[in-house]
Amino acid sequence: MVALMKISVMDTSASPAFAVETIGLTKRYPLSWKRKIVLALDHLDLQIRPGEVFGLLGPNGSGKSTTLKLLLGLAIPSEGEARIFGLPPDSLEARARVGFLPENPYFYAFLTGDETLRFYGKLCGVTGAKLEKRIEELIDLVGLQNGRERPLRSYSKGMLQRIGLAQALIHDPDLLFLDEPTAGVDPLGSSQIRDLILRLKKMGKTVVFSSHLLEQVQEVADRVAIFSLGKKALEGSLEAMLVENQSTQINLPAELSAEQQERVRQLLVQAGVGAAEIRFTRPHLSLEQLYLRTIQKAPDANPPTHPRP
Amino acid sequence: MISSLKRIIAIGRNTLTEAVRQRVLSVLLIFGLVMVACSVFFSKLLIDEQIKFVKDFGCGAIGLFGFAIALLSTAQLIPQELHNRTIYTILAKPVRRVEFLLGKFLGVVLLLSLSVMLMSIAFAGALYWQEWQGIDSTQIGYDQRTPHWQSSPDMVNMYQRDILEIENQVRDPQLIEAILLIFAKLVMTSGIALLISTFATSSIFTIVTTFMIYLIGHMETVARQVWLGRGAETTLYQSGFLGILSLLIPDMNSFTIVDEILAGNRVPWAHTFNLLGYAGVYLIVLLALSEISFRYREL
Repeated sequence: MVALMKISVMDTSASPAFAVETIGLTKRYPLSWKRKIVLALDHLDLQIRPGEVFGLLGPNGSGKSTTLKLLLGLAIPSEGEARIFGLPPDSLEARARVGFLPENPYFYAFLTGDETLRFYGKLCGVTGAKLEKRIEELIDLVGLQNGRERPLRSYSKGMLQRIGLAQALIHDPDLLFLDEPTAGVDPLGSSQIRDLILRLKKMGKTVVFSSHLLEQVQEVADRVAIFSLGKKALEGSLEAMLVENQSTQINLPAELSAEQQERVRQLLVQAGVGAAEIRFTRPHLSLEQLYLRTIQKAPDANPPTHPRP
Repeated sequence: MISSLKRIIAIGRNTLTEAVRQRVLSVLLIFGLVMVACSVFFSKLLIDEQIKFVKDFGCGAIGLFGFAIALLSTAQLIPQELHNRTIYTILAKPVRRVEFLLGKFLGVVLLLSLSVMLMSIAFAGALYWQEWQGIDSTQIGYDQRTPHWQSSPDMVNMYQRDILEIENQVRDPQLIEAILLIFAKLVMTSGIALLISTFATSSIFTIVTTFMIYLIGHMETVARQVWLGRGAETTLYQSGFLGILSLLIPDMNSFTIVDEILAGNRVPWAHTFNLLGYAGVYLIVLLALSEISFRYREL
């Protein structure tokens, strides 16, 4: 595995194997007034395949946002290199295939939702009827029908994140970078964004996102990398990393009585399982699941409106 | 090339829309009203003096308000984009950094064009109002001095000469030269602010530094004279320093030729074109330096 990571010649053919590939990617920020250098990212080797949903995890200042900036060509690497579909990240060809949602975006507060998407569409060379059609599709996709004619300064945090996602998707990119897409969004909005990521995955998009909400990452990511102090501390598929190989869980749609539990226990003992290792528990909902069930059961999710007197 | 131009125009239009919706232009509206009102307040002056006053005040106000708009709007172009993180969303799209920079600058130039145009319309309105007032008061003067003066051909000739003089003063085509020169100076100021903002970490730094350069630019003629050995005695170091200064800092003082126009002196179009050409060349240098500075900036 290590030997593979150290390959120094990157594949730049028309259909590269990786949507994102970095080799020894390093970023140092000099603090000239203190005569010090901050190592924001230390020799990152990363390979993300097309169609994957990849989570970047780690505490603040661990190098997640720096990684995204380097992958977008917004920062210049001090060492190493990165490739997007085999292309340099700062090339127009690479950017044409990438969409980006920054952390806590504000956008242009004076533009309406439609105007915002029109502006970003023009930057990507999408114009005319094609652009208008794309705006309709995206407004539907992110559920912003009520924000089309409103200036962004009147948007809630969740609405801003959704218009941010729409602008990132305006040119139908193959790869999406989402920096804390659910930061500051309420649980319902957050779960909608999570569902959107899953829809994007079904559409064949590659999604790379950073988040502090571990449970959400677990629900959508195929693989994750955990960062600590500018270094990748762990990387792998959630399936492989989270499974406890030494135990088996059986889920039943009904509660077992004490007598039924005893009969199941005897059967398992007969099958060779040690009696002391068998435990019967009732599964718990997460607080988020309880919250979402309650909100979604509410008769009307929209805020109440009253006629003007 | 065309797609690049389209992106620059899209960013420029967006910058202009932002400025307009931030109500910068309402300040200009107030300016227009103040300018028209001032003609009323100074109506006790002689008609020649009134017209001269409106010209001086109008051009001065266009220069001053334009300077404020150029400086403030350019100084916040990049810091605001960084603060709102909108720069990341733009540069993550297939947009070159130079296109972003030129687009933002285009937006400011469009804003300045619109502002100078609106202020010029208000200026022209004030001048025509003065013309109408002048013709009216001239006629009243003739009526009071000589009843039935219209029957005297000499008096009619004299009256027509007076009216023609007022019209010539008001409808002076040289005022177009003056406004073009003011506009060129504003765009140069904006170019300086843009260059500084590409490496500055705050708007305040950009505003203060640009203002200092603007002031030094007005004193540059003295520096150049000293450098070329036509001024007071200087050491080699002083002469070298002043030489570098006069090459680096634009000569803003040349644009005070506007005062000559306002004083009623003829300034040939060739001279105006020379100055506009100087501003154009300087602007290209400023934009090229801005591009180099911004290309390697960490965002």
